Amino acid sequence: MIAVLYAIVFVICVYTARHYFFTLNRLFGFQRHPYIDIDTADWPPVTVLVAAHNEEKVIANALSALMAVKYPEDKMLVVPVNDRSTDRTREIIDKFVTEYPGRIRAFHRVGGKGGKAAALKDAMELVETEVILIFDADYIPGAGLIKQLVAPFFDLEVGGVMGRVVPMNAGTNLLTRLLDLERSGGYQVDQQARMNLRLVPQHGGTVAGVRLSALREIGGWNENSLTEDTDLTYRLLLNGWKTAYQNRSECYEEVPENWAVRIKQIMRWAKGHNQAMVTYSLRLLFGNHRATLRERIDGTLLLGVYAMAPITLVGWVLALSVFYEGVAPLHGVIALLSLTAYAALGNLAAFFEIAAASRLDGTRQRICLLPFLILGFAVSIFSVSRAAVSQVSDLITGAEFHWDKTERFRKAM
Amino acid sequence: MNSYIAVAALISVASLLFMLPLVPALVELHRKSDALPLVVVQQNAGEIRHFANSFRSYVKNLQPILQSCVTSGTSDGGILPDGAEYVVLGRVDEALLRGFAEGEAGHPVLIMAGVDLSVPPSAKFSKDIYAGGGFGGGEKNSYRAILGEREVSLGVGSEVLRWVHAVGMFTAAYGCNLYGRISSDLGIRLGDECSFSRMNAPHIEIGRPAAEDISSTEEMTVPSSANAGKLPRLLHDGDYEVLAGQVMERDIVIRGNLRIRAGARICGSVKSVKDMVIEDGVSVEGSLISASKMRVGPNCRIHGPVIAERELSIAGGTRCGTRQYPTTVSAPQIEVEEGVVVFGTLWAREHGHVVAKV
Repeated sequence: MIAVLYAIVFVICVYTARHYFFTLNRLFGFQRHPYIDIDTADWPPVTVLVAAHNEEKVIANALSALMAVKYPEDKMLVVPVNDRSTDRTREIIDKFVTEYPGRIRAFHRVGGKGGKAAALKDAMELVETEVILIFDADYIPGAGLIKQLVAPFFDLEVGGVMGRVVPMNAGTNLLTRLLDLERSGGYQVDQQARMNLRLVPQHGGTVAGVRLSALREIGGWNENSLTEDTDLTYRLLLNGWKTAYQNRSECYEEVPENWAVRIKQIMRWAKGHNQAMVTYSLRLLFGNHRATLRERIDGTLLLGVYAMAPITLVGWVLALSVFYEGVAPLHGVIALLSLTAYAALGNLAAFFEIAAASRLDGTRQRICLLPFLILGFAVSIFSVSRAAVSQVSDLITGAEFHWDKTERFRKAM
Repeated sequence: MNSYIAVAALISVASLLFMLPLVPALVELHRKSDALPLVVVQQNAGEIRHFANSFRSYVKNLQPILQSCVTSGTSDGGILPDGAEYVVLGRVDEALLRGFAEGEAGHPVLIMAGVDLSVPPSAKFSKDIYAGGGFGGGEKNSYRAILGEREVSLGVGSEVLRWVHAVGMFTAAYGCNLYGRISSDLGIRLGDECSFSRMNAPHIEIGRPAAEDISSTEEMTVPSSANAGKLPRLLHDGDYEVLAGQVMERDIVIRGNLRIRAGARICGSVKSVKDMVIEDGVSVEGSLISASKMRVGPNCRIHGPVIAERELSIAGGTRCGTRQYPTTVSAPQIEVEEGVVVFGTLWAREHGHVVAKV
């Protein structure tokens, strides 16, 4: 039991060090934004896929914004991927197709397997361009975003591109404000540090792009994956392609406004991520492929982030157990120093990261909300652990995954 | 003390201490003083002419006064709604201009000229200048920003702190320091020892390139984007060398140092993870990207974007982009030699410099 506890403490310490390393790199290290200055070029043709399943509240905003972007009109085709919608999504899309002839081509999917990856896979029959961009229907791209997301594809090493996601409903309630802080830490510090350090920036599946030849090389979209973005990141990496993160390519999204929706969302992410961990971690760490040593280590740690929640819970139970059994894993001064060091540094690492991100974003007062993140942390740790347990039980019982679409809160246009 | 009161007091104090860190959080949650979404630029796409266009709109209301002054050959002045002082020149008056230059104990004022404007040397203009005609600057002047409706020419050793946009040709003489955005609808010419940051024009000439380098006699017949995804990709771990005169019909990704020997022709794009050296007369139809340092030229022809993550030096006679398909040349540190022509954008994020020899 003590050995397991030591192992858990070691893993937690590794993730703590990782948080600090990323944050310090972001604050003081060399910042890589190699493609953001490409403002003039012979821009390649691009297909923009907009994944939409019952998106009547938001799809019009997304399509209007895409029609207003600054990209050569004759080189950009927007393909709304209407995945078996039962609301007014189809009607709204068709109206846009009529309004913008030649610029939007609708893909209406009426059957087939559920999930975004399956829908995107089917929509590939309309894609003829080397560069593909992907947006979810609740995203509102700015005028310069398409060029910014296309620019990294001039680099032949780049197979995937990811932009930054910014919550537009940040101020709605406590949950949205906490999610705003989390997103800030995740993108402004975590993703950018990975870009700086040539590690593994993660493809997010929206405000993102993929190179068609790379996608074909890795076997296309994996419709069996619960999170096609994580799956794509690792298959690209294992096949010698890089994912580039563009921190200044920002796009508004809508975040969940109630805890039930948030819990569903994070449970789906956790299951997908864990699925990718089981599929790719050993291959990534020890396999014969082109990833560098630092990519292998960082990629494996990234795959393990959602496994950390149940591991931490087990660690808590074990720690309490050894205490009540009268076992002292550490003695005297060492125990005291360890406890003090962890209290001072360890459990604050993620909060430090988020505070640094807020500062980099130029915001100030919202940092005051940091203590409330403990609430978000508590909800996440139990939801993610629950997801892990249900995933294991599904595996045993053979139950199929049910796809839960994230509910929208915007008023329909 | 009653033990019940002691326990209650202890619990109260402990609760108070626990709640203390939450006080600023509760206040912020209630006040929502920083609850707006992070500002994401939605409308402009970072265009280099953004400030110039904004300034043109800003002075639009002064155009009738400017026309009137030009017609009458007089000058006028006043204060804009935001409190900025301006002067409108309908004729050239050097003594008046010297008075506005801060170096001569004047005070900063926005200048609008409806005629060709020639400003005296060693003067500092810390407010924006609008030149309805041509603009000629004296030596060692300092400007905040200039919008010229025709050609703009800066004297030896001058500096620009924010931006210049010229509808006509923009010329900077020897030793100018151009810290902000420089753009022209016609062309930019930089003299020796000039430093620069971000520039955009149909063609940017360094020094006096050969006439055929600026003209469009050698245009690409096929745009570089046409080959995207069509060529096979060579992915090589370690250093690599393309032989002199070799023609490669593929995209090249080298995870090491790359040297392309003289006269080679690459029909696709090129990427190196370490240093890249492109020798004399090499032609690349796609992009050229190095994750480290890059040295290009002399006499190379690069059609796609040229990006180096650390340093970039370009030797004379090299052309980047074409008039038909302009491109971007970018790196934190750039050195360019006389005789280089860039069609499109030349952007040194930290420091760009014109040198006699790279």
